[in-house]
Amino acid sequence: MNDNPVLRIVAKIIIPMILLFALYVQFHGDYGPGGGFQAGVIFAAGFILYGLVFGTEALRSAVPPHILRIFIALGLVLYAGVGVTTLLMEADFLAYNALSQDPVAGQHLGIFLVELGVGITVGAVMITVFLGFAGRNDP
Amino acid sequence: MILTIVLATLLVGMTAALIRAIKGPTVYDRILASNALGTKTILVIVVLGFLMGDPSLYIDIALMYVLIGFIGTVAVLKVSEFGDLGQSRSRTEGDQP
Repeated sequence: MNDNPVLRIVAKIIIPMILLFALYVQFHGDYGPGGGFQAGVIFAAGFILYGLVFGTEALRSAVPPHILRIFIALGLVLYAGVGVTTLLMEADFLAYNALSQDPVAGQHLGIFLVELGVGITVGAVMITVFLGFAGRNDP
Repeated sequence: MILTIVLATLLVGMTAALIRAIKGPTVYDRILASNALGTKTILVIVVLGFLMGDPSLYIDIALMYVLIGFIGTVAVLKVSEFGDLGQSRSRTEGDQP
């Protein structure tokens, strides 16, 4: 579908907006609808549109699968790392209050990091699932 | 009051699009009908936001629906044309649809 000009140009215009909106949903999730899971899915949807229009080979060269596997683990490590950090600060697992002197600031930082971890993992998993289904006939 | 009338009109239009999507003889009728249904869904979300009195939350959801709905249409069209989501070439002469 790479030689279809309408689809190619619309995809090139809309993909940055999808990624920007995913970041908005990620970081504005405290005050509006959103959060890590939704942001990860929307972020992956931008890459899935790229894979649909330009083919899975182009998507594979844009986000190589071995990088995706690293990101899947990285999000989980970030999530668990926040919990272990609070454990090391002699509080309960994922007790965000211990992260800062001010409990409210600590909760803000804790939620931010945990949601970021969720977003990274979900986005990478969604792209991997799309590559696994749509790219199964690739050489 | 005017918002309620708009909402009722939109629901009538959605029903018509849904009937066309179910009955539609060709796949293009169904895709066009589901596309119109998605557009009207966005409008219903925005109108509901103004009816509920807190439009900013609903407009966020409507924006997301716009962006994701386009991807769904592209994916359905690609599967109906090629039977495969992955490849990048266009249809050539010898291909089976």
